[in-house]
Amino acid sequence: MKLLVCIKQVPDMESRFKPNSAGTWYSDSDLAWRMNEYDEYAVEQAVRLREQLGDSSELTVLSIGPDRVVESIKKSLAMGCDRGVHIQDPAIHEKDPWQVAGIIAAYAKEQGFGLIFTGMQSQDRGSAQVGVTVAELLQYACATTLVGFAFDNGVVTAKRELEGGIKGVVKLPIPALVTCQLGLNVPRYPTLPNIMKAKKKEITPIAVADLLKEAPLVQTTSFHPPTKKGAGIVLEGDVNGLVEKVIGIIKEKTAVLR
Amino acid sequence: MHLDLTEEQKLIQDTARDFAGSELEPVAAALDSGNDRTPMLANLKKLAELGFMGLNVKEQYGGAEAGVVAFSVAISEIARACASTAVTLSVNNMVCEVIQAIGNEEQKTKYIPKICSGEYIAGGFGLTETGAGSDPSSMTTQAIKDGDCYVLNGSKIFITSASYAGVFVVWAVTDKEAPKGKGISCFLVEAGTPGLIIGKEEKKMGQHASATNELIFDNCRIPAGAMMGKPNDGFRIAVAELTGGRIGIGSLALGIGLAAMDYATGYSTERVQFGQKISGFQALQWMMADGYTELEAARLLLMNAAWRKENGKSFVKEASMAKLYATESANRACYKAMQMLGGYGYIQDYPIERFTRDARVTSIYEGTSEIQRLIISREILRNFS
Repeated sequence: MKLLVCIKQVPDMESRFKPNSAGTWYSDSDLAWRMNEYDEYAVEQAVRLREQLGDSSELTVLSIGPDRVVESIKKSLAMGCDRGVHIQDPAIHEKDPWQVAGIIAAYAKEQGFGLIFTGMQSQDRGSAQVGVTVAELLQYACATTLVGFAFDNGVVTAKRELEGGIKGVVKLPIPALVTCQLGLNVPRYPTLPNIMKAKKKEITPIAVADLLKEAPLVQTTSFHPPTKKGAGIVLEGDVNGLVEKVIGIIKEKTAVLR
Repeated sequence: MHLDLTEEQKLIQDTARDFAGSELEPVAAALDSGNDRTPMLANLKKLAELGFMGLNVKEQYGGAEAGVVAFSVAISEIARACASTAVTLSVNNMVCEVIQAIGNEEQKTKYIPKICSGEYIAGGFGLTETGAGSDPSSMTTQAIKDGDCYVLNGSKIFITSASYAGVFVVWAVTDKEAPKGKGISCFLVEAGTPGLIIGKEEKKMGQHASATNELIFDNCRIPAGAMMGKPNDGFRIAVAELTGGRIGIGSLALGIGLAAMDYATGYSTERVQFGQKISGFQALQWMMADGYTELEAARLLLMNAAWRKENGKSFVKEASMAKLYATESANRACYKAMQMLGGYGYIQDYPIERFTRDARVTSIYEGTSEIQRLIISREILRNFS
C-alpha cells in the first residue's frame, strides 16, 4: 500500500513575530524553523504503519514551500519515510487553504495512496482546513483530531477526541485521510545514523505551477499583533468596599455571578 | 566561504537540542546535588541509541559518520543542559576515535560498536598520573612483557567515567631506558580484568554526575594482543588524539557559557529594580554584549577547528586556540551571568552557580590554558624558524 504524510515547516512558536512589508503575513527573516508539531504526530504514526506493513508498503513525505522546507523533509526521511516530494513554492504563505489542498490533491490524485496522514492544523495559520479539503477533493473517507490509530485488513480504527475530553471511536475503509492530534503518539527522535542515511533517499522536486489549478477563495487582508490592552483596573479603599466593587465587576463583566 | 551548517548538521543540532531540553535539563540540577547518577546513565544509554557516542566514527563500527562539525554542535547543545552528560559524551567519542585511528581490525570490531551502541555506558581514557599531568610523558605506570601477556603496574588519576566504563585506553611505559616520550605504549584494558582496581571517586567542584576516579593496576595481566599501534609509539598517539578531544571540551564550554548568558539575559528582562527592568541599564547591556560577542568568537574558532579536522587539514593550532578561547570566555560568561543575577546568581535555586562550577574545569582538563598557549606559540614559532 502507498502511504503519504503531508508536513508543513513552521517558525519556532517562541519567536517574536513581526508583520511583513505587505502586512499580510509575518516577516520570515530571523526565524528558526521546525516541523509543525501536529505533523510530527502524523509522521510518527505513518512510520509506525509503514513498519507494521513492512516492505509491501511505501511511505512518501510531502511538503510545500521554499528550499528551507527540505530540512523538515529530511527529518521525516530520517524518522523512517521512504521518499520525499518537495513542491517548490517560495510564496506558499500567500495561498489560502483551498489552494494548498488543491496542490496536494493534484499531486496525490494519480498516485493511488491508500492512506494519507496530516496534522490536525498548522501552528502558524491554524485553519485546520487542508487535511479535510484534500480528503474531499480526493473523495477519501476522513477522520480528524486522532488520538488513537489502528489499521487492520483495510480498515482504520481511529480514536477521536471530542469536546470535554470524551473519546469517540470511528472506523474508516481505505482510501482514507486522517488528521493527527497531540496525544496520538510520542514522535521518535531521528537517530544520527538515520539522519546521515537520509541523504541517500530520493527527494523529488516539483514546481508548484505544475500542480496549482485553483484561485484563492479567501484572502488575508491584514496581519498584526493585538492592540495593546489598557492597564488593568486598580481598586483602592477598605476591604468591605473592595469586595462590593469586585462582586459588581464580576456580575457586570462575566457569567460567574448573576 | 560557507558559514552555515548543512541540513544534516542542523538536524543533528536540533535532535541534540530537543533531547537535551526534554530529557537532560529536567534532571541536571538533581544530578548535580544528589548522589544518584542513575538518571544520567539511563540518558547516556538513550543518547548512544540515537548515535551520539560515535559521531565521527565509521558506520561499519556502529558510528554515525556525521563528522566533526556535527560532533561540536551536538556537544554544545548537550552541555547547555547538562555538562556532566556532555563530558561523558566527549570522552566516549574520543575513546572511539582513538581505537578507530590506531586499533587493528579485531580491536575496532570488538570495542567500538559496544561504546557506540551503549552496551558499554562509557569508555575510559587513562593517561594522567599523579606525577604526569601537563607532562604526560613523565608517567611511571609500567607494562612488562611476560610471555604472551603484558603485566601492568602503577596508577592513573582523574579518569572520567571509570566506575561505569566497559573498556579503558591506557598508556604505560614499555621501555624505561628510551628517551622521554619514546618508550610509552598504548593498551586496551577491559573493565573487570583481574588486577584492575577502580579507586576512590574524587569530590569535585562541579560536573558532579560524571565520575572521576583513580585507576590502579596491581599486577594486571592483559594479553599481548591488547596493545594498540606499534610498541613504544603510544605517546605520539596520545598527543594526537588529545587534539581532537580539545574540540569536544571547547564545544562543551561554549554550551555552558551560552546557557549562562541566555538565562541571565532572560532574567534581566523580568527583574525590576529602581522602577525599571534591569536589562534597561547599560551596565548589564555591556555584560550581555561582551559575553555574547566572546562566545560567538569562540563558536567560530571551534567551527574552524572542527571543519579543518573534518577535511583532513592540520588543526593542532586551531584546536588549541578554540579550546583556550572557548573555555576562558565560557568562564567569563558565567561570572558575568552571576553578576547579572546578583545574589540570586549565587544560590542553588538558580542554575548559574552550577554553570559556573561546571565551567571552571574546562580551562584545566584536556590540557590547561597554559598548555594550549604553549602549543599555539610553538606552532606559530615553527613558521618563523
